Amino acid sequence: MFEQQEDVVERIVQYLRRPLQMDPALDGRVMQEIAGLAARRGPAAVAWRWLTRPRHVPVSPLAGLAIAAGVALLVVLPARWLGRPPASAPREFQFVLVAPRAATVSLVGDFNDWDTARTPMRALRADGTVWTVVVPLSPGRYRYAFLVNGAQWLADPAAPAARDDEFGAPSSVVTVGGL
Amino acid sequence: MRLLPPAWAAALAVATLAPRAAAQDPRLARLDPGARASVVALLDSARTAGLPAEPLMQRALEGATKGAPPERVVAAVRRLAVDLGSARDALGPKASAPELEAGAAALRAGVPPAILTRLHTARRPPLTVPLAVLADLVAGGVPVDSAGAAILTLARTTGDADLVEFRRAVERDIALGAPPAAAAAVRLSSITQGADRGANPSQQPRRP
Repeated sequence: MFEQQEDVVERIVQYLRRPLQMDPALDGRVMQEIAGLAARRGPAAVAWRWLTRPRHVPVSPLAGLAIAAGVALLVVLPARWLGRPPASAPREFQFVLVAPRAATVSLVGDFNDWDTARTPMRALRADGTVWTVVVPLSPGRYRYAFLVNGAQWLADPAAPAARDDEFGAPSSVVTVGGL
Repeated sequence: MRLLPPAWAAALAVATLAPRAAAQDPRLARLDPGARASVVALLDSARTAGLPAEPLMQRALEGATKGAPPERVVAAVRRLAVDLGSARDALGPKASAPELEAGAAALRAGVPPAILTRLHTARRPPLTVPLAVLADLVAGGVPVDSAGAAILTLARTTGDADLVEFRRAVERDIALGAPPAAAAAVRLSSITQGADRGANPSQQPRRP
């Protein structure tokens, strides 16, 4: 039984080892077919294949360091270089005072040279009880006060008082961060 | 003849022209004639010493607008100049004008220069807001030691907005009747415990 199987195996081996007669034009036909495939893919597919094909790019150590420095610079780039407003840019602050029976109210302080005419406040309501104004302020600490009816100085009840007041009229303090 | 180096020539020109520039500032016309000469001298001295002159000018203008007597205006400007110099001694020569102004306010409120120096080493600039919050807390009645310890603790980890919120919270508590030292301690504790839990103080719900 085993001799019969060995005979079969021997015949299979001999069959597999027989020399093959290949068509001499086979290589040419295969290459022609490949070229035809590339042509049928279209320029976009060819370009994508060119872009995604791995390559070896020789880079000197100096160029590598320069590239790494550029990437690091982009990562730690200050915010103002990326379009955000710089820390020293003025920010808008709204000042509000409730002053019933006031005819005029002015905001006066370090930010307008203590000029009583430069920053008049406007009445929010028709009855003239709430007065407001928006002022851009650069980073710093400012003393200010409200001047009501051109004669009465009032501190801002919503802000810290300037305790170092030396002129006998109350002032308040606003601090803008950034510098 | 030997020519002066450019740097010396520039310094000489600044020293010569600065008083004239100060004298030509149109804002000085608003000052009482009795105070003007003294204020100009103080402004020039500040510039020569490398101190910001604008805060001095604003203090003089405040006095003039509020109708203060000339001698009181001059005294206030002189006092501020001294405080600005002390603030620079405590904060270092690289301190910005807003930092010096906030530092001067803290010194005027009673904060010792040593706390300003410790704050300078504890936190990267700008220090304007921590210094201003410190000045406001002390001016609001919080004992200097408590306020200084709180700001030094918060300065390392807390941003400007949260420092301002801390000051507001302490002021609210004081207005509601809390003792100033206790208000600062409680608010500081709530922030540091929030930080320990990884919470951002500014994101905690505010009290109505």
